[in-house]
Amino acid sequence: MRDIVLRICKWIGLPGAAILISCAAVTWLIGCASTKPAGEVAAGTTPSVAEKSGAQLWAENCVRCHNIRSPGSYSPAQWEVAMMHMRVRANLTPDEHKKILEFLKAGS
Amino acid sequence: MNRAILSVVNRTILCASATAALLLPFTVAAQDAAAPADYVSRAEYDKLKAEHEAMKTEMEALKTAVRQMANGTAPSAPAEGPVSAKARAGSKNSGGKEVETAAPAAAADDLRQEVETLKTQVKETFPGSTKFLLAGYGSAGFTARSGEDPFFDASFNALFLWKLTDRLFFEGEMELQFENGSTNINLEVAQASYLLNDYMTIGVGRFLNPMNFFVERQHMNWVNKLPDKPLAVYDGLLPESVLGAQLRGVIPIGPTKVEYVFFGANAPNLITSFDDPAAVGLLDFSNTANQGGHFAIGGHVGFIPIPELEVGYGIQRAKVGPRDRAAESVLQSVDFNYVRDSTLLKGLINFRAQWVWSRVDHFVYDPDGSQGFGPFEFNNKRKGGYVQMAYRPTHIDNDIVKNFEPVVRYDRLDQLHTPVGFDEQRWTFGLNYWLTPSAVIKAAYEFDDKNGGARNQDAFMLQVAVGF
Repeated sequence: MRDIVLRICKWIGLPGAAILISCAAVTWLIGCASTKPAGEVAAGTTPSVAEKSGAQLWAENCVRCHNIRSPGSYSPAQWEVAMMHMRVRANLTPDEHKKILEFLKAGS
Repeated sequence: MNRAILSVVNRTILCASATAALLLPFTVAAQDAAAPADYVSRAEYDKLKAEHEAMKTEMEALKTAVRQMANGTAPSAPAEGPVSAKARAGSKNSGGKEVETAAPAAAADDLRQEVETLKTQVKETFPGSTKFLLAGYGSAGFTARSGEDPFFDASFNALFLWKLTDRLFFEGEMELQFENGSTNINLEVAQASYLLNDYMTIGVGRFLNPMNFFVERQHMNWVNKLPDKPLAVYDGLLPESVLGAQLRGVIPIGPTKVEYVFFGANAPNLITSFDDPAAVGLLDFSNTANQGGHFAIGGHVGFIPIPELEVGYGIQRAKVGPRDRAAESVLQSVDFNYVRDSTLLKGLINFRAQWVWSRVDHFVYDPDGSQGFGPFEFNNKRKGGYVQMAYRPTHIDNDIVKNFEPVVRYDRLDQLHTPVGFDEQRWTFGLNYWLTPSAVIKAAYEFDDKNGGARNQDAFMLQVAVGF
C-alpha cells in the first residue's frame, strides 16, 4: 500500500497528491455531514442541486468564472446553444444544466 | 277603524310581495353576474352551439351508417368534420351544467397552452438563432512599457457554436490579432463534443488545454480581470490549445462536485535550435504537425466542496525531442478559485490563484557542436504562477460606485537556471469599470522586477473588453 501511494506521489507530484487527498477527505467529511432525510436540508449543510432553484444555480455556477448575464441577453433558442456550450466547458451536471436553462428561457 | 287599518296592512303586504316578485329575477341575475364561474359568455355560447351543430351532423352521419348496415351495404367512412377529437371528448359530458362549465374551462386551458407553445416557437424562429449561436469577445488596448515604444492594439475572437442534436455539439473559435505589423488568424478551438451519458462527454479536435484552468475558463479578455495575462500560466509554461481527444465529465457527490478531464494530444516540440539561444529547452506548443511523433497524455481533476470554491490539479506528460533521443516532459498545475458574494463586505470577492511546474528531463543540446554552442545541457525546470484578488462593491446603493472593481495581482516566473537566465516577478494594480456584465474598461499599472541582470519593465495599460 505504501509503495502504491509513493508511486502515485512520484507520478503526479507531491502537490497534486496533497490536493487529491485533501479533496477526497473533504468530500468524505461533507458527504457524512450532509446525511439527512430525503427532502430536508440539514442545518449547516449545503443543499444539493435537487433542492436548489434554477435561479440559484445560475447565480452560483456562472459567477464562478464571469459576471452573470441577464436572461434577456439571448433568446430561448440561443440560450439552448449557449448552455450546451457551458455544460461541456464548465462541467455542469445534467440537473444543473436543465434547471438553469429553464430559468434562462423563462426569463428571456 | 280596525278594519281600515287591517285593509291598509294587507295592501302594503300585497304591494311588498308584488315588488319582491318583480325584483327577484334581477336579484338572481345579479347573483349570477357575481359568480363568473357559472356565467357563459357569448363566445363560449357560440362555440358550444357550433359543437352542438357538429354533433348533430355526426349523429346524422351515424344514423345513415346504421341504416346502410341494416340494409346490408358497407357504411361509407364518415368524413372528418369540423369537430375535433378534443371537442368530441368535451361533448361527451351531456350533463347540461357540466357542459356549460367544464368544457369551456378545459378549452381555455388548451388554448392558453397552445398560445404558449406558439410563442416559444415564434421566439425560436428569430433570425440566426436556430441551434446556432455566434458569440465571442473583442478588446482594444494601449500599453506603455518602459524600454519599449508605447502602442495600441486590438483583437477579436469569434466563437461559433452549433447544437446539432441534444447530444452533439460543435464549437469553433477564431482569433484575429495584430502581430509584427500583420493580422494573424489563429484557430483556437475546433471541437466536436458528444454527450455519451450524464457523466461523460467525449470531444475531438482542437480544444483549450483542460489541464490549464486559467486558459480554459478565465483567459477571455472580458473575464480576465487585468489588461494583460499572468506569467507562466498563459503564453508561458503550459499549452493554450491542444489537438487531440478528451473525455470529461462531472460527478455530483451530495452537495459537492468532482470534475474530471482526461486527454490525449499531439506532444509539444522541444526547441533544440540555437537560432534564439534563450528559447533553447523551451517547449513549442504549436506543434500541430506533431514533429517527433510523440503523444501527450494528461488530465485535470477539480473539486467543488461548496459553490463558492473550486480547487483543481492538472498534469500533462509527454516525450519530447527527436525520436531517437527523446526526453520526458512533465507539466503540472494547481488552481484555486474562490468567489463569494458577501453581504458583510457589501460586494463580490474574487480570489484566483494558479501555480505551474514544468520539467524536461536530461537532454543534451547540440551534442556534436555543429551549432557552435554544444554539447550543452542544463537543469530544465521552470515554475511560476499568480495570485489575484478583486473586489466589486455590488451591494452599495450607488450606480457608479458599484461598477468599480479594484484588482491586485502578483505573478512570477522562475527560470534563472535556464538559457532565459532570469526570474521575473510583478505586482499589478488595476481598476476596472463595468459598463455591462460583459463590457469592462480596465486600467492598470504593473511593477516589474527581474533578477539575473535583466531590465525591469514597468508598464501602464488600458483596455476595453467586450463579451457578446
